[in-house]
Amino acid sequence: MQLLKKIKNSYKLRRKLMAYLFILPSLTIFILFILYPIVYSFIMSFYDWNILSTEASYIGLDNYNNMLNDSRFWNALKNTFYFSFGFVPIGIIISLILALFVNRKIKGKNIFRTIYFLPVIAPMSIIAIIWTFLLNPDIGMISYYFSLIGLENTAWLRDPDLAMPAVIMVSIWKEMGFNMVVFLAGLQSIDESYYEAARIDGATKLEQFFYVTLPLLKSTTAFVVIMTVIKSLQVFDQVYVMTGGGPLFSTETLVQYIYKLGFVNFNMGYGSTVAYALFILLLFVTIIQLRYFKGEE
Amino acid sequence: MKKIIFFTLILLLLSISVSAQTVELTFWNGFTGPDREYVEGIVNKFNEEHQDIEVKMEIMPWDSFFQKLLPSLAVGQGPDIAGMGREHLSRFADAGVIAHIDDFYNDYLAKENLPPSLYEAMRWEDKVYAAPMTLATAGFYYNKELFAEAGLGEEPPENWDQLFEYARKLTKDTTGDGKIDQYGFIFPIKGYLEAWSIVIWGNNGRVLEDGEIKINEAKAVETIKRLTDAMKEDKISPFVINGVEGDQLFASGKAAMYFNGPWAYPQFENAGIDFGVAAAPENPAGESVNWAGGTAMVLNKNSLDKKEAAYKFFEYWNSKESQIYFSINTGSPPTRTDIPEAEFSQKAVINTFSEISEKSRFPLNKEPEFSTIISDVIHPALERILYDEATAQESLDQAAEELEKFIE
Repeated sequence: MQLLKKIKNSYKLRRKLMAYLFILPSLTIFILFILYPIVYSFIMSFYDWNILSTEASYIGLDNYNNMLNDSRFWNALKNTFYFSFGFVPIGIIISLILALFVNRKIKGKNIFRTIYFLPVIAPMSIIAIIWTFLLNPDIGMISYYFSLIGLENTAWLRDPDLAMPAVIMVSIWKEMGFNMVVFLAGLQSIDESYYEAARIDGATKLEQFFYVTLPLLKSTTAFVVIMTVIKSLQVFDQVYVMTGGGPLFSTETLVQYIYKLGFVNFNMGYGSTVAYALFILLLFVTIIQLRYFKGEE
Repeated sequence: MKKIIFFTLILLLLSISVSAQTVELTFWNGFTGPDREYVEGIVNKFNEEHQDIEVKMEIMPWDSFFQKLLPSLAVGQGPDIAGMGREHLSRFADAGVIAHIDDFYNDYLAKENLPPSLYEAMRWEDKVYAAPMTLATAGFYYNKELFAEAGLGEEPPENWDQLFEYARKLTKDTTGDGKIDQYGFIFPIKGYLEAWSIVIWGNNGRVLEDGEIKINEAKAVETIKRLTDAMKEDKISPFVINGVEGDQLFASGKAAMYFNGPWAYPQFENAGIDFGVAAAPENPAGESVNWAGGTAMVLNKNSLDKKEAAYKFFEYWNSKESQIYFSINTGSPPTRTDIPEAEFSQKAVINTFSEISEKSRFPLNKEPEFSTIISDVIHPALERILYDEATAQESLDQAAEELEKFIE
């Protein structure tokens, strides 16, 4: 009896060990490249550390104090929110409309699906370079077509008021295909019988959308919103390539500023501090969103 | 059979002793552009001619170059030698991660053979930390065809008053749609070179001089105001363009005057426009003060045991032969002043840039925070004026205040 138990235990143990063995590779990567940097940058944020100097001095909360008085940090925070408030709602609505469109039984819907998805596959940096050329008022195609129809030739990326809207527009164009595919999957999982029932009750197309489609897309929407918000708060590539944060810091976002502090000025300590501000911001936003979507269910 | 084994053994031994004598020099730089081919050309030739030294070069884009170089030097690793923009020297020298090479100038390369300003740029405090790699100067490019159209003759403007007068005449709306499509004098704030420094020198002003901040003094303010007024009111240049956009404008004949380096020459030549290159217009004191930049080669402090091999390579790089080869192919002026002009008779523009290099300055020389000052202080200061957020005086006062934290 005793022996049997032992064997059973060791079997359990072996199974456990086996499980750990299987997750070991990804666990190693996670610890080495995600957990360790997260912990280490938290420690770094309390130091005055320039990468070239061999020693770092502990300065307590000085970095955090500086950050609260750093007008460039607040400006970057403001710009990050500006980007999010433009990018998230407009981008999601457009994606949803596209998904509804390509979900219908129309000719060539696969071609449309492919076309809308193409920009998602292309690297952001290349898309950003292409759009920089297109938006150029002197040699760009867009300003040329604008001038043909009598619209004013605008220097989008050189105007502090228009640069951010231009970056938002390009980002939406690039990312809409991804959310469209997610919505499409959501739409196709809705059973046709709901629509039948709605039609029998005399619901119009619009009512069907608002009372059947939208509520049943709830979890898809939650996923899309959370992912898009996180993505938008981490915006970097397109800003880096298209404007470099300018003109006059009007497009400098948090990640852009972190990059600048850490990898251009090599001020790792303060860079980590600002990175932690972003981390806390992301944490809060995600918790609030999760609560909201859970509470509604 | 025995003989064969014996000889193979001898050969093996010999080859081992030969390879043991070969010094391997790792060399990092960021020459990914069109001049890459000629950097490789010199290195390959050096390796062929020096059996005992092998230069192993790794070329990577500048931003990843610095991202790799800084941390690796800080922990005592990194390449034996590295080539980088001269403006970065003071930061590395100050951090004590590169070796000073005063003896190189005693034993291998006489400093008398270099342009004085170039030698000066290799120094930090009272030691020399680098050997020249490339030299660049800014030429004043002007479009002769547009000059003729505006009735301005063939000659470039003599002084800055004339430059702005020309710029206004050369700024036109050729299609009549109410938009400027030909710019008189384009000024890319974020261009390849610090064109604002040429503008400030053009009025005898300075940004910093001997550790004193002069960016908000009358001479600098006056000339920056004149430039920004001309950009805002007369639209002689679009506002926030970068070097690529500037090149496109000049190459397509939409810009009449432009400061740019020798690297731009082939591009404009290929574009088929009729243009000339000259030194900067004279300032009120009758001097033409030009922009200089360049790259330098440094020796890792931990590679001092390979010092001789490195010096041989630095010497070879700066030899007349290598410099003629590099200049002829890239169009940049040689790092030496003792190469006869006749060597470049097939490419006379090299001589023009060479002459310019003798009356040139390196902006913000020996400023460890060079790039931060430019991106965080000077660019925003110019943009504030252009976007009417501040007057020239206010904006440059603010810049002077911000500069203070960089000057101890």
